[in-house]
Amino acid sequence: MSRVTVDGTAVEVAPGATILEAAEAAGHWVPTVCFDQRQAPFGACRVCMVAVAGSPKPLPACTTPCRDGMEIETEEATARRVSRAVVELVLSELPEPPAPHTELARVAARLGVTGSRWTGAVHAREDDLRHPYLALRHELCISCGRCVRACDEVQGAFALTATGRGFDANIAAGLDAGFEDSTCVSCGACADTCPTDAISEISLVAQLERS
Amino acid sequence: MANATIPEAPAAEERFDRVAATTCGYCGVGCRLETRAIDGRIVSIGPLDGPANHGHTCLKGRFAHGFSRSPDRLRTPLIREDGELRPASWEEALGRIVAELERVKAAHGPDAIAGLASSRATNEDCYAMQRLIRAAVGTNNIDNCSRVCHSPTSFALRRSFGLSGATGSFDDIDHAEVGVLMGVNPTQGHPVVGARIKQAALRGCKLITIDPRRIELADYGEIHLAPRPGTNAAVALGLCHVVRREGLVDEAFVAERTEGYEAVEELLEGYDPAAVEEIAGIPAADLEAAARLYGEAASGSLLWGLGVTEHMYGSEVVQLLCNLAMMTGKVGKPGSALLPLRGQNNVQGSSDMGALPDTYTAYRSVEDEEVAATFEAAWGAPLSRRKGKTIPQMFDAAVAGDLKAMYIFGEDVAQTDPDTAHVIAAMESLEFLVCQEIFLNETTKYADVVLPASAFLEKEGTFINAERRFQAVEPAIDPPGEARTDFEIIGEVSRRLGHETGWETPWDALDEIARLTPHYAGVSRERLGSQGLQWPVRPDGTDSPTLYDTTFDRPGGRGHFAPLPYKAPGDAPDDEFPLVLVTGRILQHYNAGTMTRRTANAELVDRDVLEVHPVDAARLWIGDGDRVSVRSRVGRIEVEAKVTDRIEPGHVFTTFHFPETRTNLLVGQSADVNTSCPEYKVIAVDVRPISEQPSFVPVLADGD
Repeated sequence: MSRVTVDGTAVEVAPGATILEAAEAAGHWVPTVCFDQRQAPFGACRVCMVAVAGSPKPLPACTTPCRDGMEIETEEATARRVSRAVVELVLSELPEPPAPHTELARVAARLGVTGSRWTGAVHAREDDLRHPYLALRHELCISCGRCVRACDEVQGAFALTATGRGFDANIAAGLDAGFEDSTCVSCGACADTCPTDAISEISLVAQLERS
Repeated sequence: MANATIPEAPAAEERFDRVAATTCGYCGVGCRLETRAIDGRIVSIGPLDGPANHGHTCLKGRFAHGFSRSPDRLRTPLIREDGELRPASWEEALGRIVAELERVKAAHGPDAIAGLASSRATNEDCYAMQRLIRAAVGTNNIDNCSRVCHSPTSFALRRSFGLSGATGSFDDIDHAEVGVLMGVNPTQGHPVVGARIKQAALRGCKLITIDPRRIELADYGEIHLAPRPGTNAAVALGLCHVVRREGLVDEAFVAERTEGYEAVEELLEGYDPAAVEEIAGIPAADLEAAARLYGEAASGSLLWGLGVTEHMYGSEVVQLLCNLAMMTGKVGKPGSALLPLRGQNNVQGSSDMGALPDTYTAYRSVEDEEVAATFEAAWGAPLSRRKGKTIPQMFDAAVAGDLKAMYIFGEDVAQTDPDTAHVIAAMESLEFLVCQEIFLNETTKYADVVLPASAFLEKEGTFINAERRFQAVEPAIDPPGEARTDFEIIGEVSRRLGHETGWETPWDALDEIARLTPHYAGVSRERLGSQGLQWPVRPDGTDSPTLYDTTFDRPGGRGHFAPLPYKAPGDAPDDEFPLVLVTGRILQHYNAGTMTRRTANAELVDRDVLEVHPVDAARLWIGDGDRVSVRSRVGRIEVEAKVTDRIEPGHVFTTFHFPETRTNLLVGQSADVNTSCPEYKVIAVDVRPISEQPSFVPVLADGD
């Protein structure tokens, strides 16, 4: 066991536990976007940045293991500035604000991010509604990789792939043939984990458009 | 999205007007689900972090809910008049039922009446049904559809170990070095457990798959054995033979915890790998490798499904699997569990609740004076000490004219039970048939009264999953129209037959179940929480994730080795019927398809197909997608062929999800010797193409 403090609260965590787990044990919130407890930590989004005494830069909480005696600050100014900036950057590419119930919207709200300072290109609408249950709206994809990992690590269908680079980074079902013509088993784990509704249930998309 | 304002995020629930936490009604995995409804319709279902599903679910649990508001849901009682079903009031329908049941009882005695509980219904529904049949009608003619799937498992586990349930939990899969899967295809039939097994395999758990078909998990495993259908016993005996020959027996476990091993040792002499190869057609070297892999591992779990049970000697094969586990000491320890994957959501519970012709709750015999007296006192009604009829016996008795009336709820026997022609003859022979259903189906065609009941999404109560886990079921929506919950209906019929249960809600029934059943003594609604309780549950609420860690639940506390030899299955290919048909199910549909066919799952898969190996297909001039005729000794169907090498040459496979296929016309009367579970898995058939273009039909040589 290692003993660490999170915002002054002392907690004991199991060997190998991450800062994120320690923060949770201490009851302190750390913003995350690419993290899902059903999947191995990925460390891609850089939203979960925290300060650690002695470290010159903020560290990602989801992938950094605790060391005995670590002093962690979840709301340290630089770390929080990085988290907010990342969320703003992510939002800047979306053609419309994420729906209020989505994880991205909730993280943004809790971080006090109400918009983006950056203007520029936004994704064009590109919706794939071929599957009877799953809607894939590419313009809402932020390339967090959660759907790909849900498909690999939770279901084991290996139907989703990350594609493209930079601004064009997105996801593809079955090499872009769509869910039905892939190894997809329609389990919906991707829709369940998606923090932006880029993959969601058709029934809910219809609901959204009606309301 | 420059400078766009993001509104304050409301709680997710604000999108929906009714959110409930419940347990899935598809399959025995028992995923915990969150249901979300708007205006009385379910719009979404997502997984909760349950002990069986860990925040995951499959396309049936998550998406296949649209059937609940299908336009053809039964919304009003129906009564047959001049050969047609017409709408009726509840008063009229219930009055008719009571009058007819009382008439039959007066004229022919209570044993001329039988009831079927449903493995899709809650424990409380099933318990209420068996109480109605036992106390209000006065007969033990009560059974449930686990008869036709896992009754052999129940029988065998009771014989070998003592209790009728998995010895461990699905979590054991995560701790097993080796997983042996016999006659089970979890990625199709039990998708969430299938996904868990696949992930375990990707992390290093070594899988041995034993199935006539090359199931998907075989691709992730170490060894795949494809025995001829009906030869599982030889494979199990062969594995035991090699374990013994190679010195992999856990001698201490056998000596201290078991009895009867000597007789098995003698029997095993005859099942060396060469002999097993001869019987089962699996390479001797593969059998040896499989036995070593399992025998040498520090932990190993055995999983099986209907590919083991639905055979003439299914209950014996389960006992042989128990032998294998005991020989290697792989039972009652973390990672070493015997996990039968139960078919329907409450196969475990419907039998646990005593919806069986020979037992009350927790498998206590109706012939046991003390138990019967307990229920008599609790219910205030005289109870029969004579065993009732099993489902197949009910049909035989109906055809023979001894059974006059049946009350069936939640089971479409005319589609799912074997030898459809015989089942229909039985239905037609009855003087009175009540069906309590959510849709009209093949069986309701013969019903005199049809009562509109509720789907699992409209119910309250508990299910018991394949890990013996009681889990709470909460209604996501209300039943449509005038439909009522099964629990309400059964209680009302009981009352009108003069037997008042005194329950107001299913939770009152659960309290009674706990009070009258020592194994469930500590079960209560409050204690179930989100994690459920695995029976036996002690009065203080302590449950039992693992059974038999120190002792077996048999007289003397020892596990029993059954010396059972291989015996040939009830059917075998010959010149007239040269292929062996195996039947089963697929991911997208559930059993008779009553629910899944009424959802967009039917867009994903809209028909049953017959899998044929390319070698057989070429020989029979069958192309992918051709319609073929499949003829067995008792019936004939037409179906579309799918050419695939997932199946071995000489075998064909199909499903029974679509009533238009009527697959079960092909299945004969052969059944498990101990439990009369039908032999759905070994059917000798003749397959021929039916072509619209006559020139493609092969000329069948007749010698000239």
